[in-house]
Amino acid sequence: MLSGRRFILPLFALLLSGCIDYGMPELEPFDRSGSDGVFILNEGNFMYGNASLSYYDIDRDECLNDIFYRANGARLGDVAQSMTIRGETGYVVVNNSGVIYAVDISTFAVKSVIRGLVSPRYIHFVDDGRAYVTDLYSGKIAVVDMSDGSISGHIDTGGHASTERMAQSGHLVFVCCWSYDDSVLAVDTESDSVVGEIRVGRQPNSIVSDRDGNIWCLCDGGTSADAVGSLWRIDPSTLQAEMAHVFGVGDAPSELCTDAGGDFLYFLNRAVWRVAVGDAFGHFPAEPLIPDIGTMYYGLGVDPQSGDIYVADAVDYVQEGTVYRYSASGVELARFRTGINPGAFCFKHVE
Amino acid sequence: MVRRFIHTVAAALLLLLPARAFAGHLSEPLDSLENVNIERIEVRGRRLMRDIGLQHSRLDTTALHDNISLSMGDILMQNANTFIKSYGRGTMATVSMRGTAPSHTQVTWNGMPLNSPMLGMVDFSLIPSYFVDEAGLYRGASSVGIASGGLGGAVTLENRPAQARGPELRFVQGVGSYMTFDEFLRFGYSGERWSTSTRVMYSRSRNDFQYTNYSKLPELEFDDAGNLTGRRYPTERNRNGDYSDLHILQELYFNTRAGDRFGLAAWYVLSSRGVPKLSTDYRDDSHTRAQQDESTLRAVASWDRIVSSVGIGAKAGYAYTDMLYRYMYDLTGTGENMVDGIRSQSYAHTAFAQAEAEYSWHDRLMASARVTANQHFVVSRDESVYGNAGEERIVGYRQARFELSTLASLRYAPIERVGLAASVRWDVYGVKCTPVVPAFFADFVLWPRLNLKLKASITRNFRYPTLNDLYFQPGGNPDLRPERGFTYDGGLSFEITAAGKRVRITGEVSAYDSYIDDWILWRPTFKGFWTPLNIRRVHAYGVESSLGLSADLGRGWQLSLNGMFSMTRSLNQGDAVTENDVSYGMQLPYIPVFTSSAVGRIEWRGWAFIYKWRYYSERYTTSSNDLTVTGVIAPYFMSDISLEKRFSWRWGRLSLRADVNNLFGEEYETVLSHPMPGRNFGFSVGISPDFGRCCRRGR
Repeated sequence: MLSGRRFILPLFALLLSGCIDYGMPELEPFDRSGSDGVFILNEGNFMYGNASLSYYDIDRDECLNDIFYRANGARLGDVAQSMTIRGETGYVVVNNSGVIYAVDISTFAVKSVIRGLVSPRYIHFVDDGRAYVTDLYSGKIAVVDMSDGSISGHIDTGGHASTERMAQSGHLVFVCCWSYDDSVLAVDTESDSVVGEIRVGRQPNSIVSDRDGNIWCLCDGGTSADAVGSLWRIDPSTLQAEMAHVFGVGDAPSELCTDAGGDFLYFLNRAVWRVAVGDAFGHFPAEPLIPDIGTMYYGLGVDPQSGDIYVADAVDYVQEGTVYRYSASGVELARFRTGINPGAFCFKHVE
Repeated sequence: MVRRFIHTVAAALLLLLPARAFAGHLSEPLDSLENVNIERIEVRGRRLMRDIGLQHSRLDTTALHDNISLSMGDILMQNANTFIKSYGRGTMATVSMRGTAPSHTQVTWNGMPLNSPMLGMVDFSLIPSYFVDEAGLYRGASSVGIASGGLGGAVTLENRPAQARGPELRFVQGVGSYMTFDEFLRFGYSGERWSTSTRVMYSRSRNDFQYTNYSKLPELEFDDAGNLTGRRYPTERNRNGDYSDLHILQELYFNTRAGDRFGLAAWYVLSSRGVPKLSTDYRDDSHTRAQQDESTLRAVASWDRIVSSVGIGAKAGYAYTDMLYRYMYDLTGTGENMVDGIRSQSYAHTAFAQAEAEYSWHDRLMASARVTANQHFVVSRDESVYGNAGEERIVGYRQARFELSTLASLRYAPIERVGLAASVRWDVYGVKCTPVVPAFFADFVLWPRLNLKLKASITRNFRYPTLNDLYFQPGGNPDLRPERGFTYDGGLSFEITAAGKRVRITGEVSAYDSYIDDWILWRPTFKGFWTPLNIRRVHAYGVESSLGLSADLGRGWQLSLNGMFSMTRSLNQGDAVTENDVSYGMQLPYIPVFTSSAVGRIEWRGWAFIYKWRYYSERYTTSSNDLTVTGVIAPYFMSDISLEKRFSWRWGRLSLRADVNNLFGEEYETVLSHPMPGRNFGFSVGISPDFGRCCRRGR
């Protein structure tokens, strides 16, 4: 009888009570202050809240996954969109959580949080005290006072519904208006106002500045069956745009990047492509730098110091993705698994 | 060989009239407020030809009308071997059967399909359990006789006319935690030939339960000296989860003396629901808000007639749904200047018609045929798209589709203990058609004394793409093929009576094996938007079991216990998407391997104590079953208790009920980043006046 009680009572208790043990995880004291590395933003799935942050230590050839949770005991949030480093702080924009985390780039610990945003996409520092944040829905660019992380104002975009990536040339910040749009805005950083609007191709999704201070803008062409993407060059002094290249029907170029010197343009279009700035008009390469090997390339980054190329395979978009590291000439150097939908890279180099 | 059974009067009539659709009107509704003592009679019963080889179960009003605050999603979660993916009360709840997707469960209401022609699934949280009088679950091949496309199974929801003659009035008021209020009113009149009933249900809730948010940054704790002493997760409330649902159901029935039965049921839904914020959302309620509004009208008229061994019937219906999803924001943060960031609107009109006929020979052979037609007209558009000059542009699609489904069945019982059945279904959708769907069923009574029966069935099945799959903008893929299924199952069931028939034990166990090819899955493209593709191949297999006990313990004590357990393996066996794909052989996301539930009820002199328990094992959120922080949703046990007292006076009946849900305050999620409420309470009062009907129920 006694043995029966021994069995039955715990079983009864198990059936009646819960078994989840939520609680504070043991926080890990990271210190990657002496190493170069790459932050990988794993976007996660929309409305899952499963975005995460990975860190690839270049010197040790080691990838640390879920570092935000391990360092802070909190999930990164829903749809990790982008990251920008300013000094010793990395600013991680989490789109559908409406938040930007300021994290220490060596310990990964959160230092502060920027809130009051609708659907933030990218952050661009105008100077040490001021940053612009674009937004998918609000139609306004938020101006953040970096002294306290507050929203000090908004830049009206004149009816454009969404704003996306930014690139600066001189005192002008050029902003893509992506969703169902075809414009690039020129924002004067001295007045925090739109001073120009440049018509480019359908859905400009990414933008960079080159060695000469020119702005390059990549348009995916939109979602219609006959859509064609295009590459544009914008002269920041005249605010005039020239179309450098038209892609074929069915193509959808994205993720425009440059190398450190601004000599080459890199982008995704099923494969990884590279074109010299001087060849973009009329001498576009016929073959990609890194061919499509059946992967689902989702994110692209170019190390500004080494020129190494990082490209992410999202696989089926509901499992951990894989990141490939290639040399500037396209030779595979490493590959490692990260989180779900690795979509953006941010490079950290020790001064 | 004829065996003796004990049946209710309704069941006896069922045996005489094998057509379920015709017999359905005669079944006996019971409810917790109004338990009716029926005089037991002994009849000589034969097998139900219609049930040969079926893996199915029924829920009557005892289970369905248990608690005013429960939706059909809640009822199925507790009383059926299914997995309910619920985002919380007042938010979407979908049903998954045998390891398949919610769109693989076909649902009918009084014979009319409820599955959205655009999405393919049904939100069970929008079906109040008090609006259903009988529910049936048909698993695997058994769904072929109900509707096409039930690769996992089918759920039937039926309304029945009141059996009591004379006027009827019933009102139930429920009050619960988080400012939750439920009101239900039913009134009607039943005469010898006419019967009418009106039901109104109104539910609203602030739904702002408190929970510990384990997703957000912990708050730091300091002692008086300013030293860091620890960290604590913030305590928050469920935000933007408020809802308000109004349902009105009107029924009208008429029986002629010549054997014709006419029925009309019209159901209107007006729902306005906030979409709860994720636990990872840092935005204030006054900053952003998402809301889903829906108005739906469904109406179905039926006629059936039984002449000798022939039963014929016809149905005609119409359904309209207007759904609006809005994502709003206010840059001022006051909540007073909300503007639309997303405004997604859809309209769906469906005209429905069905005709069926059955013929029986010598109680051992029955043939039936049914033709069902649906004509859909749908509009889907995003009204919040703006051009570069700020002008509004509309992105979406407008489509119409005709669907025709034909079914022919033959059932044969060569001897009393053996039943054989075969069905053939064939569907047309648009200008395409599915291959013929054959299904075979068999059962064999192994031990008549225990009614120990061996069942088996096998079928192949198809589900054709939804209109969103084909035409949604952007991403719709008009080249999609139908999903293909193949399933077979076998099982045992028994029924034992003992102690002078005061104790009844029933049980069932079955095993199944299924394959689905060309499973349609929405995936992002390299172009940035999502598109559906025929890419997944799934092997699902498992075991389902149930056990029930009801006992008259004497001296007024009644006991009933019902338990269920299922094991579901639903494995991806599709080709690798890329060289880095490690999902082969892994359990599909959001399909638990183990589920179990139990309900115990003990009654004594109008008192009733009910205990409910259920268990879900861990669920993966990724196709590769990654054991990361967000890759696994923890398993949980749930316990609810209720105490009910029924009073019966000359003027009528009164019931009082108190519920404690999530008795042990379990912290849990059924969907990632969607916290569920902790311990909460409900109280309800039910009143049912007696209008002096001396001849109720034939007495």
